[in-house]
Amino acid sequence: MTGTVIEIGPYQLILALVFILLAGGASLYHGLRLEKDLLVGTIRTFAQLFLLGYVLKFVFRLNSVWPVLAVFLFMIVFATRIIRSRIKEKQVAFFWPMLVSMVISYALAAILITGVVIGAKPWWKPQYFIPLGGMLIGNSMNAVAISLDRLLSDLKERRQEVEMMLCLGADYHEASKDMVKNAMRAGMIPAINSMMAVGVVFIPGMMTGQILAGADPLVAIRYQIVVMVMIVGATAMLSFLGVRIVCKLCFGPAQQLLLRPEKHGKRD
Amino acid sequence: MASHKLEESTIIEFCDVSFGFSVLTPLFEGISISIEKGAFYLIQGPSGVGKSTFLRLMNRLEEPVSGEIRFKNKPLSDFSPPRLRRAILYVQQTPTAVNGSVEDNLLLPFSFKTNLHLKKPGRERIEALLENVHLNGVEMNDHARTLSVGQLQRLCLIRGLLLSPEVLLLDEPTSALDKESAIAVTALLARLNVESHLTVLSVTHRTYGQENVPYRCLEMRDGRMEESP
Repeated sequence: MTGTVIEIGPYQLILALVFILLAGGASLYHGLRLEKDLLVGTIRTFAQLFLLGYVLKFVFRLNSVWPVLAVFLFMIVFATRIIRSRIKEKQVAFFWPMLVSMVISYALAAILITGVVIGAKPWWKPQYFIPLGGMLIGNSMNAVAISLDRLLSDLKERRQEVEMMLCLGADYHEASKDMVKNAMRAGMIPAINSMMAVGVVFIPGMMTGQILAGADPLVAIRYQIVVMVMIVGATAMLSFLGVRIVCKLCFGPAQQLLLRPEKHGKRD
Repeated sequence: MASHKLEESTIIEFCDVSFGFSVLTPLFEGISISIEKGAFYLIQGPSGVGKSTFLRLMNRLEEPVSGEIRFKNKPLSDFSPPRLRRAILYVQQTPTAVNGSVEDNLLLPFSFKTNLHLKKPGRERIEALLENVHLNGVEMNDHARTLSVGQLQRLCLIRGLLLSPEVLLLDEPTSALDKESAIAVTALLARLNVESHLTVLSVTHRTYGQENVPYRCLEMRDGRMEESP
């Protein structure tokens, strides 16, 4: 990297809060009642990022594989918790299977990118592995949440159709094929859309960060391409695994659909 | 009403079966009943008593909380669920079609792995069945979702019959039909029951044309199932 970075001091950070004040003013003016959320969000942003900064500094200094993997695992556990909390459907317990599939998918994708594509040595080199892993988890987490939400709501809404197929001799794969396909597509579309718009409609955060830090834009775009391709690949892999695993959990040992309408009344 | 005695062998047996959607509110308790092969049963009882659930337990769309259900003297769990459901075929109360033509819907079951070895029914057999239930005006390439509920209800019944099940579970099979069509459906079921020894269990509140069919009556009330005389 070349060039110098203009350091942001405490006064500049405080000055940036003017934007939060503006947002808070707009909320008050329009009666949106978002002031408290804005305040909590701002405090959390400061606290979480400062904490992350110190943790990263510490991990970078240790220069050992275990703290790097611990940070990576911590991010995945939190991402799984966020996915679980975003999905309204609570009849299927999928936290642990989802966590395992996320650990496998993200580990494979992150190792492949840092170790093989970028060629970092060692593959877990903290300044590559942690930020790239974080971007991977953060971006594909949304896609997985969309996929799973779509799958569960479709299975519930189209319960009659699923059961009709089961009654005619379909196994659960065949009965839910359409819903699985739709769920995977719903999760993939945002990542594909962002590939379409990148560089034309928006400049991605990672690339912006590198350019601000003084990197050559041509180096920054290469990193960005790798990151975008990695996100699409991991999203596809995780959507496929996650949707399959959760779909399996929606059916019982007799391949009967376990998801019931919210307030289940007696049948005739 | 006459008792029907084609064969007295038991095809399905409920042994002390209990079921409930929650632990606190059981729907049935300790149901023990034998379903005779080749018999035609009408299942009756007040709304909400669990008649549909009773049918769904037989093809494992629901699982009992306790007790055992046996098919041909073996526990239901001895059969692979898709094969079991093809043998004990349940036609839902709400007729459901997939997006496609009448033909696509009728042949849908033959696209499933479990049924791939089955010979697809010829046009003649399909048309004869459609005619039996007064659906001869329906073209094979008509879109299924343009059919009326009554037409769809008969289409779903025919789709099930094309798989030649051993036991047919019907949930209000004539609820959306006019009197004439209901009589035609009942007549077809009676013919299959007599000629092919098809065991039929039908939940119904309406009994058009049923007086000409020898049937047995199962009464469900207060979580109990009894054969009424």
